[in-house]
Amino acid sequence: MTQEAGPTALRSSPVPVRGRIGQLRDRASGRHSPLRRLDWTLQLCVIGLSVVGALLVWSATRQRLGEAGGDPQTFLKRHLLNLAIGLVLGAVATVVDYRVLRAYAPFVYLGSLVGLVAVLLFGSTINGAHSWIVLPAGFQLQPSEFAKVALVVGAAMILGEQHEDRHTGIRRSAPGHGDVLLVLGLTVVPIALIMLQPDFGTVMVLVFTTLGMLAVSGAPRRWVLGLILCGVLFGGAILQFHLLQPYQEARLTSFVSENKASSGTGYNVAQAMIAIANGGVTGRGLLHGQQTQGQFVPEQQTDFVFSVAGEELGYLGAGGIIVLLGVVLWRALSIGFASQDSFGALIATGVVCWFTFQSFVNIGMCLGIMPVTGLPLPFLSYGGSSMFANMIAVGLLQNVRLRSRSDPYAL
Amino acid sequence: MNDRMRIRVLLLRVLVLSLLATLGARLWVLQVLDNDHYRQVAETNRVREVVTPATRGMILDDRGQPLVRNRTSLVISVNRSTTDRQADHGKAVLTRLATVIGTPADELTRRIRFCTAQVKPPCWNGSPYQPVPVAKDVSPQQALAVIEHPDRFPGVSADLQAVREYPHGSLAAHELGYLAPVTQDQLDKQGDEKGYHLNSLIGVAGLESTYDDELRGTDGVERLEVDRFGRVAGTASTTAPVSGDHLVLNLDLGVQQATEQALQDTINQLGGGNRTASAVVLDVRTGGVVAMASLPSYDPSVFVGGVSEQDYRALSDPANGIPLLSRAYQGSGAAGSTFKVVSTAVAMQNLGAKGDQLFDCAPTLQIGDQVFHNFDGESAGPITLHRALVISCDVIFDQFAYDSWLADGGLRNGRGPYSPPKEYFARMSEAMGFGKATGLDLPGEAEGSVVDRAGARAIWEELKDSYCRRAKNGYPEERDPVKAERFRKYAAEACVDGYLYNAGAATQFAIGQGQYLSLSPLQLATAYAAIANGGTLWKPTLAKAAVAPDGRVVRTFQPRKAGTLPVSPEILAYIRGGLRGVTTEGGGTATGVFADWPSDIVPIAAKTGTAEVEGKGDTSWFASFAPADDPRFAVVVTIPDSGTGAEYAGPVAKRIYQAIYGVGQAAAMPGGKPPGSLPKINRDGTIAATSAADPFTPSPAVSTASTSRTVPPVGTIVAAPVSAPGPGPVTGPSAGGPLAVLPALSTTADAARTGPALATGATGPAVWHPPPGNAGRPAAVGVLSSAPSRAPPAGTARP
Repeated sequence: MTQEAGPTALRSSPVPVRGRIGQLRDRASGRHSPLRRLDWTLQLCVIGLSVVGALLVWSATRQRLGEAGGDPQTFLKRHLLNLAIGLVLGAVATVVDYRVLRAYAPFVYLGSLVGLVAVLLFGSTINGAHSWIVLPAGFQLQPSEFAKVALVVGAAMILGEQHEDRHTGIRRSAPGHGDVLLVLGLTVVPIALIMLQPDFGTVMVLVFTTLGMLAVSGAPRRWVLGLILCGVLFGGAILQFHLLQPYQEARLTSFVSENKASSGTGYNVAQAMIAIANGGVTGRGLLHGQQTQGQFVPEQQTDFVFSVAGEELGYLGAGGIIVLLGVVLWRALSIGFASQDSFGALIATGVVCWFTFQSFVNIGMCLGIMPVTGLPLPFLSYGGSSMFANMIAVGLLQNVRLRSRSDPYAL
Repeated sequence: MNDRMRIRVLLLRVLVLSLLATLGARLWVLQVLDNDHYRQVAETNRVREVVTPATRGMILDDRGQPLVRNRTSLVISVNRSTTDRQADHGKAVLTRLATVIGTPADELTRRIRFCTAQVKPPCWNGSPYQPVPVAKDVSPQQALAVIEHPDRFPGVSADLQAVREYPHGSLAAHELGYLAPVTQDQLDKQGDEKGYHLNSLIGVAGLESTYDDELRGTDGVERLEVDRFGRVAGTASTTAPVSGDHLVLNLDLGVQQATEQALQDTINQLGGGNRTASAVVLDVRTGGVVAMASLPSYDPSVFVGGVSEQDYRALSDPANGIPLLSRAYQGSGAAGSTFKVVSTAVAMQNLGAKGDQLFDCAPTLQIGDQVFHNFDGESAGPITLHRALVISCDVIFDQFAYDSWLADGGLRNGRGPYSPPKEYFARMSEAMGFGKATGLDLPGEAEGSVVDRAGARAIWEELKDSYCRRAKNGYPEERDPVKAERFRKYAAEACVDGYLYNAGAATQFAIGQGQYLSLSPLQLATAYAAIANGGTLWKPTLAKAAVAPDGRVVRTFQPRKAGTLPVSPEILAYIRGGLRGVTTEGGGTATGVFADWPSDIVPIAAKTGTAEVEGKGDTSWFASFAPADDPRFAVVVTIPDSGTGAEYAGPVAKRIYQAIYGVGQAAAMPGGKPPGSLPKINRDGTIAATSAADPFTPSPAVSTASTSRTVPPVGTIVAAPVSAPGPGPVTGPSAGGPLAVLPALSTTADAARTGPALATGATGPAVWHPPPGNAGRPAAVGVLSSAPSRAPPAGTARP
């Protein structure tokens, strides 16, 4: 355990110097308790987003469920249940010291690979992707969501390792070539497995997360630039030689094509844009969006949940969601910034890259400026696995935060 | 964490913020700036249009007899917005339906799938909300099986739909045209303006195409509010369909039928095969197309519900004579001696020839190394132009053209130290309407060609490279070496001096031969009509009026003038005299054909033509108008690969005149003229015959009651004992009434009326007594009526 003071911490510690008794009391229940030192802004934003998500999912599904004779609140309840389970999982991820977690990182990583292999063997196909393991009682598990967490932890372990190995007092400035290669290897395996499902969106999340972590870790510049170049060339080759399934290619290209109103993927986007535009500044009011209640936007409780926000909550509501996401990402980056070690900083970086990419692509898709890739919007889209993975990621952020300060009372 | 990482984290922070700002800005654009636009889109999004096609107007002949009408067909349709929501996507329903209508379920599945770039027909090209028709003309039993079991056939419906029907089969098919589904391109470009819908049928050929706007009507549209799954929440608005207007034509069913029958008989007589034949009958006073026919023809009903590829190929196959092509207005060729009227006009109007001047009709004319013969090498000595027309002397006209060619500089073509060529023959041809479309109200008209010096040069400029190549390489693909060598020599000459205005071709121009002239039967008919009517070139017009379903006349199509012949009335009269001589004077080329024709009652002015065609039999032409002294109808007949004009085309023309005037049969044109008024269409949409409105028409009871028939002693104008027609509302008494008719020797106010009764001037050679039914008519007016027929005075019949 590092007992280093935090001369590098930019912020002055909010903890005033006190007497020992006061410190003990504070530790028990006061402002220095771990509970207090959690980043509550982050946590409240996340919970707020999830609750808004629950309302949007409810609005998106109650009509259909009601018509089918089911309980109109099914999805609302499930989303809230997912949130609760997610919070528990997040708490676990917070409590275990991430430096201990690092020791188990290989197991976390291997566990996620097992899940990815299992889904290929026992999984079910939904919306063209073989990504789900169907569990009893109507629950489904999507191992690729957890692969995101595993990759973040695994890559952070390797890229952050150098700094911990030698207590020479001189930090090595960057991971070496070997580390970069190892991280690439670590990324390629889950990517290959997810490609087999195929779930192109998740693959892109993993690619950008790894790239972001490599860039921030201080990996050699030519690696970062080279990888970006490779990505561009690879992407060009995919489109040039039609390596994707036609429906995948259509999803990617439909956002630049003119005729969005036709059926197919362009239809989803066109309907989503209509819904959002109809929200105006103040929105139609929850449960009162005509597009939403007419169920014009397919997948409106999952990938296109933002269209519900756009129509029913308007610019104020949908913009508010973007702001909340911004606060989450801002806080996450601050946590990384304040982290004692590279491992913590890289975990935060990885989570930020993951959330940012997913949010931008998802909302951008609803707004017609990004291709349709089938990625959920963090915290808002309905989906258990996604919610759990997101909450574990938030838990990890809190974990890093708790242990980031020059804090004599750190756990 | 080191500084390098800190900097990169800061960069990441900037990146994240800019991405989110991008989203925020885009959201602003969409929700605030584009809000109005998307509100409208959302409106159309929630509203689905269900189209009820308007009933297309009928196409009626000049007497209101339908040439194209609509019949109802029981159509079974599958509504995909219903079947797609069934658990098995309608599979079970389609399987059940397949057994009812006897079409395999696979086929049904293919028919209701949506067409895309990849999915080719059979597939559905219309709106997903429009029921997809899967079976047409089903029996009432089959329809009831569907209607009475909505539980077994959810999403399947049986409705009555109007489809085009052609009561006379292939009659006038080239003129009527056909319909085809609107293309995506038309829908995109004209959909709003013309009111097309996804599965609209629009006219793509013939009158259906030209007058599509009149005929189509306005589709009814029901706007339904629906959710995404097409479940109807309510009706936003409904507009009822407005039926299209009926199109009344100048075309006359009786004349058309007689024309096609005469052509068909001639083709059969010649041995059938891929032979073709065509004829045009014009009203010389208006340019109205009374009949126009080209054989082989086709039954337009093959296009109903979509033509099969096999059928379409058969209709375009030269081995079948390309039935889709009308030779009457879409084909052109050498006109032979019928062209001599133009040459006569040039000779007299431009070259100063006088009517009584004599010209030598020598047996041959030598021009350079070419020798031009009269037909069969006959010589007639010095004769007038009148006589030259009557006996069709070639050499006299050849000489005019040759002289004209010499005066214009002979071979010389292009800039030079001589005055610009006059080119009288080419100019007069153009003034007669040759070398350009006549302006017929049908698409796809042939222009023919009139090649003057500049034209010859332009053609040569275009082709010389290929000539020169051929001169070098020869014709290796030609099997016959003699022929190949001849072709090569021709190419070699053309390569060097093809731009020169050929003396032979220029000379033959005068007798309607050679490579510088080609014209369509319709063009020739308009020219003859202009000569007949005193010099007005009309644009031939099929349509007479558009009449609303309730009988209101929406629009009348007035005669359209194309020009005036640059020929003095005296010269035109002289030419008419010559043409009259063709059928009446001794030695006239058509006197044989019209030997038994009552020329003193309906004199015919005509010109025969025998055009030589390389590698084929002669094209037989006959161009004419009647009555010669007060022309009303022009008739042109063309029969390729047959023989002389008098042999084949002439008899066909005669049969057409017989039908028009009722010689030996019922008159198709009672009174010898087209009906003066439009057919009356009743408020309820039924059609009364034209003549039914005529107060002077003998009632059907009168004309049909009499069964006494008198065989005429002499002559061939008879009150033909044709079976009495049923007095139906459509055909009326006039169409088939047994009538004999006089030419309009003079007209009175009454004579302008239409109907079976024809008024003639009291001073006319024939005065008939009114039939009993018309006893009350003015005494001075004789009426030639059908019943009881009376023998005309002996003097009126041709000896």
